[in-house]
Amino acid sequence: MNFNAARALAIALKEVRHILRDPFTLALGLGLPLLLLLMFGFIIDLNYGDIGLKVQDQDHTRLSREFARTFSSSGYFRLEPFSSEIAPVSWLDSEKASGVLVIKENFGRHIKSGRQGEAQLLLDGADNSKTGVVLSYLAGIMDAANRKFAQTPPRNSPEIRTRFLFNQELSSRWFIVPALATVIIGLLGVLLTAMTVAREWENGSMELLLSTPVRPLEIVAGKLLPYFALSLTGTVTVYLAARLVFGVPFNGSRIVYWTACSVFITAALAQGLLISVVARQQRLAMQLSMISGLLPAFLLSGFIFPVESMPVFFRYFTMILSPRWFMEISRGVFLKGAGFMELARPLSALLAINTVLITLAVKKFKTDIEP
Amino acid sequence: MSADVAVNVENLTIAFGAFKAVDDISFCVEAGEIFGFLGANGAGKTTCIRAICGLLSPTAGKITVAGRNVADDLMAIKTLVGYMSQRFTLYPDLTVRENIAFAGALRKMPARRILARSKELFRFTGFSYPQDTLVQNLSGGVKQEVALCASLLHDPAIIFLDEPTAGVSPASRARFWNLIKQLSAAGKTVFVTTHYMDEAEQCGRVSLMQTGRIAALDTPQNLKAANFPHPLYEISPSPAAESDFAAALAASGAGPVRPWGLRYHLEEQNADLWRKFSAERAGQFSQRRIAPTLEDVFLKLVGGGAA
Repeated sequence: MNFNAARALAIALKEVRHILRDPFTLALGLGLPLLLLLMFGFIIDLNYGDIGLKVQDQDHTRLSREFARTFSSSGYFRLEPFSSEIAPVSWLDSEKASGVLVIKENFGRHIKSGRQGEAQLLLDGADNSKTGVVLSYLAGIMDAANRKFAQTPPRNSPEIRTRFLFNQELSSRWFIVPALATVIIGLLGVLLTAMTVAREWENGSMELLLSTPVRPLEIVAGKLLPYFALSLTGTVTVYLAARLVFGVPFNGSRIVYWTACSVFITAALAQGLLISVVARQQRLAMQLSMISGLLPAFLLSGFIFPVESMPVFFRYFTMILSPRWFMEISRGVFLKGAGFMELARPLSALLAINTVLITLAVKKFKTDIEP
Repeated sequence: MSADVAVNVENLTIAFGAFKAVDDISFCVEAGEIFGFLGANGAGKTTCIRAICGLLSPTAGKITVAGRNVADDLMAIKTLVGYMSQRFTLYPDLTVRENIAFAGALRKMPARRILARSKELFRFTGFSYPQDTLVQNLSGGVKQEVALCASLLHDPAIIFLDEPTAGVSPASRARFWNLIKQLSAAGKTVFVTTHYMDEAEQCGRVSLMQTGRIAALDTPQNLKAANFPHPLYEISPSPAAESDFAAALAASGAGPVRPWGLRYHLEEQNADLWRKFSAERAGQFSQRRIAPTLEDVFLKLVGGGAA
């Protein structure tokens, strides 16, 4: 393969000039990552603390009060007692409480006599995400209550104690912010390069380009280089903001993380270039890049829906999409501190996707000018 | 293949689906000549020139440029020739200097040579704007001058200019043709397409193109002489002309008549019948013997629709 680095650099230099003179590209490259990060970091908060819990204590014993206290001492609930005349469901109807705890009569007596105490927790199922979180808290609370009330702990029954590793605080930001890098690069990279070749076809400069002895590989390489630098800058910005603004811990190796970032950025840029090479029209390229950049990055990467719980088809389909693999790497490195060995599979998948995309972009590059 | 043949085209056909943009044409361009393609839009001029420059693969036929086969030696040919598209091909958001430097870098020219050549070419073309002007701020004719400099930067021996003067002012057009003649005088082969008759007159040889075929190919003088062996008259009807004047002129049998604006061009093939008509319609017109132009040739061979 004939490849002239000087020609590729000439194209790269020209692209840098385009970027510097086009405020839109610069804004897209540097502004969009920060905007997305701040939006997701501040607005989406899947942590629920201080959940208003109305308590109707029909038992009025020491034990019933103690039981209610296990809820407040968990730190997640704020208890608000109310009299027994009001129907518990009305609190949920009026959305004045996220949940209602009803402790039945004889709760204390039953516990003392070694039977089961009865209590009822009413939750608003309309707020699905919150209810899910509350239920997960509930398991811990019941665990605590059982230990407190059991006179003689059943020695043989296994005690399940959930301990969250890697994200001990179960902070949604810790979870979302590293993943957001995937969405940002996956979307941005594709958008940045999707216009570049199509634009040359539309404004006629491709004709000048192709009348010189330049080769498709040189054009592709020359176009990748500056946008790589731009995307990397955007990614570093996201990383710094994640660490400094949101205090997300970074447990892994920076070498591993930035290597993976570079590979993923190249894959996203190559995807955009391939679209541009094939579409040859800016409008079509824009639409294709929005669809093929946005959807996989948001929906099929595991950002919102875990890949493991997708239907079988999608579980396999996501394998040809780079965001899914980088999501695995990003979360792994940030929170688990995974190294090259643990990430060999996603890394080699990314490299394979890279090779395919770049090869396709070069092969599909038309050097024929039709009227 | 003799060394003084710049371009040789044999049985070239270029089809897009069922449509043949270029239909089995053969011709030869000698080194150092100004060779013109004259034809209407869609006659296949651009398609043919693109194929010669290696920008399009022909459906059939053989093209050699400077003795090299285009199909086998694409990159070598791209280094040898200079090509200026009819479309505007510079980057509007780059400056003149940046555009030129980019064109040079793609051709692996050292920076010092690019500088020297561009100075030379700017002097040659009379380009006088600051080189840090963004190309988008230049007028059409000036842009074309810069585009010409970009395609001449590597000092190609064969230069392809595809409608270089389309859409520029008459003054720029005249200047451009001056440049083309200077290039030719310097020993370069210039292959130019146009749909202006006056430009075609300035070519060494002209190929008249019609729907992908060559209708005629020769020097402008020979084309005129061969197609107009008889005297040519310009007939101007006077206000006194009767309404059937045009029909009567055509039916006179004196020779073929072609409308020419408000006037008519008559090829006098039968002098007796012409004298008879002149006598019958005395006072209704004035006549003037004229030399045929390429436009007469074009209209005769290709018909209306050009220029």
